[in-house]
Amino acid sequence: MTQRISKYKRFMMMNPIVQFFKFIYLSLKVLVIVAGGHGGTRKA
Amino acid sequence: MTKIVVLGAGIAGHVAASHLRRKLSKEHEVVVVSPNSNYQWIPSNIWVGIGRMKPKDLIFPLAPLYAKKNIDYKQAKAISFYPEGDTDEQKPYVLAEYVAGDEKGKKEKVTYDYLINATGPKLNFGATEGLSPGNNKAHSVCTYTHAQEAWVALEEAIQQMKQGKKTKILIGTGHAKATCQGAAFEYILNVEQELRRHKVRDMAEITWISNEYQLGDFGMDGMLLSYGSNILKSSEMVEMIFEDRGINWILGAGVNKVEDGVAHYETLDGEYKQETYDFAMLIPSFSGHGFKAFGKNGEDITERLFKGFMIVDADYTPKPYEEWTVQDWPETYQNPSYANIFAPGIAFAPPHGISKPRKSKNGTDITPAPPRTGMPSGITAKLVADNIIEMIKNPNHELHHKGSMGNMGAACIASAGFGMTKGSGISITTYPIVPDFKKYPDTHGRKLGKTFGSIGLAGHWLKLALHYAFIYKAKMKPFWWLIPE
Ligand SMILES: Cc1cc2nc3c(=O)[nH]c(=O)nc-3n(C[C@H](O)[C@H](O)[C@H](O)COP(=O)(O)OP(=O)(O)OC[C@H]3O[C@@H](n4cnc5c(N)ncnc54)[C@H](O)[C@@H]3O)c2cc1C
Repeated sequence: MTQRISKYKRFMMMNPIVQFFKFIYLSLKVLVIVAGGHGGTRKA
Repeated sequence: MTKIVVLGAGIAGHVAASHLRRKLSKEHEVVVVSPNSNYQWIPSNIWVGIGRMKPKDLIFPLAPLYAKKNIDYKQAKAISFYPEGDTDEQKPYVLAEYVAGDEKGKKEKVTYDYLINATGPKLNFGATEGLSPGNNKAHSVCTYTHAQEAWVALEEAIQQMKQGKKTKILIGTGHAKATCQGAAFEYILNVEQELRRHKVRDMAEITWISNEYQLGDFGMDGMLLSYGSNILKSSEMVEMIFEDRGINWILGAGVNKVEDGVAHYETLDGEYKQETYDFAMLIPSFSGHGFKAFGKNGEDITERLFKGFMIVDADYTPKPYEEWTVQDWPETYQNPSYANIFAPGIAFAPPHGISKPRKSKNGTDITPAPPRTGMPSGITAKLVADNIIEMIKNPNHELHHKGSMGNMGAACIASAGFGMTKGSGISITTYPIVPDFKKYPDTHGRKLGKTFGSIGLAGHWLKLALHYAFIYKAKMKPFWWLIPE
């Protein structure tokens, strides 16, 4: 095992308060990508 | 009155049937033909495979829902296709065989005006000698029953580790051309975390085995991701995670045979090697179902409908990797020979891979097949339903609803461990799914910002939230259609 994620980064990754805001951010970001639409590629 | 037959009640089939039913008046008939009596939310199988969810948490019976929603349901499997009917039957039909109940074994000509083939993949265990779920200590998580069996075996391995047995765990792809690396990736991280939870992590050697050329390829040619304020290759991100978790890896491996506790594989260097294990989870190759199609007079017209999977509006001209373009990928999922047949989700034949094809020195193709995850399966099913609705209103209508995987984003929230406070998830989004090297030449064919990665507890919550949201949606509870695909 090689530590590749620093203690600080790990703390941030697992801190419920930080991650709560991350959750909101990720949910919106995913929604934007899905709702951002889709279409064809042949007739630009 | 129009009759629309949907084959399959997985993500694509169920999305198509539910949207058709919601948007079409009662005079039109929506029929679902599918052999499995339950709907299953496949992405959560990972958690069944580590004992943190039970199959009942991710399945529900289809018959009562369909009865309530006025969708005709036949628990049957499609066998062959007659897109022109036959000498006795004027209308096009699919020959289906009932698989349960009083009618088990009975065959029926299910006629249609429009046909949606959403039969997904055949889990082709037979393509790898000795690979079959639950045999030779090798398991699968591709269905909830497979995942449950995997958990029983893993739990036993955990008990043995508690008694001091050193254990080798092998997880990855079980065929040189397998896809679905993402599911295996989620499983290996969840298994690793569970071993830590059970305090036996030091008793296990965990190895990733994959047909990918590089870590993080995922059958999508890898990705260049924005990761915080950095730009990272998906290979670097996965390497960081594997090293941090003490997971070894074997790449460019085409597993060709599985014996009791031994996986035999060929490498891209042309060497034949083997890896021993006490517990393995190997994803099989996916193939078409081997359906046959017949013309009006019984002549074989399979090649007009199938190329393994179903032929749609893709450009299937064989060409080298350097000449692949996003324009090769289908937009409407309509069969070019029969305008009333569509194939969304995994059921359509892709024009080619997404990852750069590679052969071993012995000439064996060792390349991941292109994945088609839940989100594009749902989106393509919905657009097919919308096009059919327009065609019913105006049969000569041009198809307006389009969704190429070269112009569509996808979110893949990979679970990396279960638990409300100890869980983790790797959230990856990509736009577009199929890289467009002309539009985004400097960022490996994808738009940075919309292609990003993030690791942490929030990813687990998101995956769990999606589990509940999509089961709510699949059960067609109030306002289900507001939840996007
Ligand atoms: C373990 C695992 C984890 C995954 N995790 C994720 C994830 O986290 N996120 C994500 O986006 N995607 C994930 N995926 C991929 C996702 O599950 C698929 O993209 C999706 O299920 C494809 O939908 P589909 O409807 O095309 O096929 P399927 O879901 O396979 O559905 C096919 C349907 O056809 C039926 N059928 C089969 N044969 C016949 C026949 N002869 N006649 C009639 N019906 C038939 C089947 O019973 C089934 O109902 C995962 C896949 C696996 C295996």
